[in-house]
Amino acid sequence: MANAIELVDFSYSYPDGTRALSGITLSVEHGRRVALIGPNGAGKSTLLLAMAGFVKGQGKVFVDGLEVTRKNIKKIRRLLGCCLENADDQLFMPTLFDDIAFGPLNMGLEGEQAETKVRETLEVVGLTGMGDKAPHHLSAGQKRAAAIAAVLAMSPKIITFDEPDGSLDPSNRKNLLRLLAGLSQTLVIATCNIDFAAAVAERAVLIDSGRIIADGDAEEVMHDAELMTGHGLEVPQRRSK
Amino acid sequence: MHHAYIDKFAYQDSPVHQLDARVKFIVLVVFTAVVISQPLTRPAILPCYAVGPFVLLVVARIPLRFVFKEILLVSPFVLVLALSCPLYDRTGVTVSFGPFVWDTSAGWLRCAVILGKFVVTMLALIALVSTTRFNDLLVGLQKLGVPKLLVIQLGFLYRYIFILIDRVQHMLRARAARKLRNLGFRTELKTAAAMVGSLLVRSIDNAENISLAMQGRGFDGTWRTITRLRVRPADLIFAAGAGCFLVALQFIVRPALQ
Repeated sequence: MANAIELVDFSYSYPDGTRALSGITLSVEHGRRVALIGPNGAGKSTLLLAMAGFVKGQGKVFVDGLEVTRKNIKKIRRLLGCCLENADDQLFMPTLFDDIAFGPLNMGLEGEQAETKVRETLEVVGLTGMGDKAPHHLSAGQKRAAAIAAVLAMSPKIITFDEPDGSLDPSNRKNLLRLLAGLSQTLVIATCNIDFAAAVAERAVLIDSGRIIADGDAEEVMHDAELMTGHGLEVPQRRSK
Repeated sequence: MHHAYIDKFAYQDSPVHQLDARVKFIVLVVFTAVVISQPLTRPAILPCYAVGPFVLLVVARIPLRFVFKEILLVSPFVLVLALSCPLYDRTGVTVSFGPFVWDTSAGWLRCAVILGKFVVTMLALIALVSTTRFNDLLVGLQKLGVPKLLVIQLGFLYRYIFILIDRVQHMLRARAARKLRNLGFRTELKTAAAMVGSLLVRSIDNAENISLAMQGRGFDGTWRTITRLRVRPADLIFAAGAGCFLVALQFIVRPALQ
């Protein structure tokens, strides 16, 4: 069985020539929860964009065995859902219901099927009964849950999250952790909140200056104080397991 | 931050809300064209035209206070145009309305007609927007052959205008927090220009992210909605009723008023 995500010697530079990713080789097996950790500007978000085929560089990227190419991009979109850093960018329809229905409708679901899917997804993320609300009227925690629902409604096998815990209060962070814990998909979560990463992931990939510095068991990588502080990060406050 | 949004009553349920978005849009376009084509010297017919949208608003239970607030909000643009009429056209005219007869200038008459047409067409526009979900309206426009690009832009304008307003408010607050004295007109102008520039750059950034989010969810340029648009007998009755109303005003009421 092919890996959920596979990058082979992938490099990418921004249009102004700044190197964002250098020789990234990474495999993520199906059903795994991987945290991409690293300081700001390390290349985590760009790596997530590369996985989804939004940035094209040198090297190869495979999603569930399919190479990320223009020809395969529609299939890739069905396989991999991405939650962007800013939920406001992700929620662009007049109502929450319409927003969550956006993906399923584009996938070819119609009327009742799409409606059922939306209701089910709203229930999963704890937003039942809020379908008629305008996305810009939701709280930060609700927006985050809605952004996840928008991706979940497309039933992807893999979901990437870019700083999902940003601007959430402790209570909403806990809700988010509970929500993520209940997902069966392969999850790749980019974050610089080490406690959050420790609580959600079983594997950690430390990235800095566009390179993979460490890759291994989350406990081992995140509790290596020298490694973590050397790259502008901190050790989690408590052991996750 | 919460904003009042233009279609906030579109999620109610009434016979007007249930009408097909395309039928309502076509009726609005025809109605607007007919009202605008009324002669600039005959204001008496305009209140008769207002009856149509007024009835729709009442049936749809749209608060009239909201309607007139919306009209007032847009009125400054038209007021400038209307109030300039008496300045350049001072030809004397005699106006009669029933038993009343009085002298005025053609400019004032034109001013009244422009304002009347504005109010009547705004009533119709608000009746459409307040009884049709914006998303259904977009799909309706798309099905009527309006270019996809225009439909997408309208959709984004609706969604992101509020985010832009939020950003402007945040920027103004940040400026107010650091502005401890009056800086003078030139410096204020410079600051305002810098803020507009920053807002533009952020909007571009925003647009790129939205594009990613949409592509990530399978968007291929076609706007889809969960509501199935279909023309039912009620829509045909509405369209026929609107047509009869316009024909009656044009060919029976208008000649009677002259």
